[in-house]
Amino acid sequence: MILEVDRVTKRFTRRGKTDKVANDNLSFAIEEGEIFGLLGQNGAGKTTLVNQILGLLTPDDGDIRLLGKSVIQSPSLARSICSVQPQSQVSLGLLTPKQAVTLMGKMRAGKQFDPKRVDMLFEALNMEEWANIEGEKLSGGARRLTTFCMAVIVPGKLVILDEPTNDVDPVRRRYLWQVIRELTNDGTSVILVTHNVVEAEKAVDRVAILHEGKLITQGTPSEVKSSVHNQMRMEVNLLKEFDEMEMPKWMLSSHRQGSRLLFAIDQSKVSSTIDWVRGQVEKGFVMDYTLSPSTIEDVYIELTSGKEAMQ
Amino acid sequence: MNTLLSHYKYVFQLQLLRNGGFLVFMALIQILIAIGIVIGLTYLIPDPDSSSILYLATGAPTLILIFTGLVILPQQIGTAKADRYLEYMKTWPINRSVILGADTTLWLIITIPGIVVSSIVAHFMFHPGYDVSWTVVPALLMIALTSIGVGYGFSYLLSPIASLAISQVTVFGALMFSPVNFPMERLPEWLQLLHEVLPIHSMAEIMRASLAASTFTANIGNYINLGIWCILGFGGAMYILNKR
Repeated sequence: MILEVDRVTKRFTRRGKTDKVANDNLSFAIEEGEIFGLLGQNGAGKTTLVNQILGLLTPDDGDIRLLGKSVIQSPSLARSICSVQPQSQVSLGLLTPKQAVTLMGKMRAGKQFDPKRVDMLFEALNMEEWANIEGEKLSGGARRLTTFCMAVIVPGKLVILDEPTNDVDPVRRRYLWQVIRELTNDGTSVILVTHNVVEAEKAVDRVAILHEGKLITQGTPSEVKSSVHNQMRMEVNLLKEFDEMEMPKWMLSSHRQGSRLLFAIDQSKVSSTIDWVRGQVEKGFVMDYTLSPSTIEDVYIELTSGKEAMQ
Repeated sequence: MNTLLSHYKYVFQLQLLRNGGFLVFMALIQILIAIGIVIGLTYLIPDPDSSSILYLATGAPTLILIFTGLVILPQQIGTAKADRYLEYMKTWPINRSVILGADTTLWLIITIPGIVVSSIVAHFMFHPGYDVSWTVVPALLMIALTSIGVGYGFSYLLSPIASLAISQVTVFGALMFSPVNFPMERLPEWLQLLHEVLPIHSMAEIMRASLAASTFTANIGNYINLGIWCILGFGGAMYILNKR
């Protein structure tokens, strides 16, 4: 077992009063070589949890063990076991990606550091063209990839990636997932923190969904999806106000973000739903629509906000 | 010990390359400020006697060290806090005193050109009567470390806005209301009392005693004062860095 999070609670207090319970009695474990997706909306408590794993924050209750040792008792141990890509952009100043990644590698591996690995990583991510350009002249995506490389150049036993694909173009995102997968071949475990559920579904071995400080579900992607097993999802882009539209009675759960409406239906209702949505297109309510098998995003929406929206 | 040294080397390289442009720029600014203090203040005092000139010429290096540690450094820390670089450094697999040590070395290095150049210029323009003692090296180190340590202490401890306010007051206070460029006796009594506690007066005394050893002496109290401030500053910074 690489990581065990055992009934961890973290509260933030302001002027003596509990302001927010950022992590509420969380428990989960990560095995060697596993990619673990930690999903949740902004403010769900993901980064707070990561900071506790790294020993930067102390839990109010519970314990966190890395390779069997308590992080609370030896916080500096956590930093040698884990390597991190932070969520925020790291300002590199005049450092070039090559310098930054090489120095980080030397810091972690000392004399055993193999400089060839820098070139291999840059090649795998197709970023050789940026290798020797000063950081402040690089685009956000190139800088994000540089901090990714800084985290994985000499990976610890546990690599924590906080929104690694932000700002990165679609082609290089694929390369990035490839590199992450290769890391686990050597037994390195990965925590992938993200709110990009669709992308994470394809990449992770196991997933946990964090909502308002609580873990609302965890398991393999197919286990998590079992609650929506026989369902289809309809995604609709609205042209007019939601309230004026008559919704299908067989809708199972729904969620709306701006002009984007998502709802779940049973597989037997596919043709009636298509009839319904065509009608809405003719009436000018709907711009376009997509019907697809349910994803983790639907579970996520159902578990977090879907229920209120439906009833 | 070996890992500590190699970590120090890599963090130093990382910080030097990252901030290279800024550091060169600051070193140049320091030279201008130091020369400016020596020459500029002679405009303020129309016919300075040799004692006033010596005060100015031995005060300029102290002011450079104060500006670096208590003004430029806190601003830099404020930026590092705002863009979360400080938080990122805290995740590195190294002892945090290494970060403090590597950065302190960089700050020390950028003060040297200003101090050397301004002293040479002052010497040839005004012949202020320097009498440099061997103690100049430890004195410079001690003053610089105190200034840098105190700068780290308050800029880690306080919010960026609060530490910006302190550094603005420090610029003005050190230049106009501190016994660096003139003798302590000219200040009102309450300011004299304040300066017995603050480190600025002790810095100036120790600097003068090593740059013009035949004219000025520093007492043991000055050294103790600096020692306490230095420990408080770095101690506070280490406390904040390791706080969870």
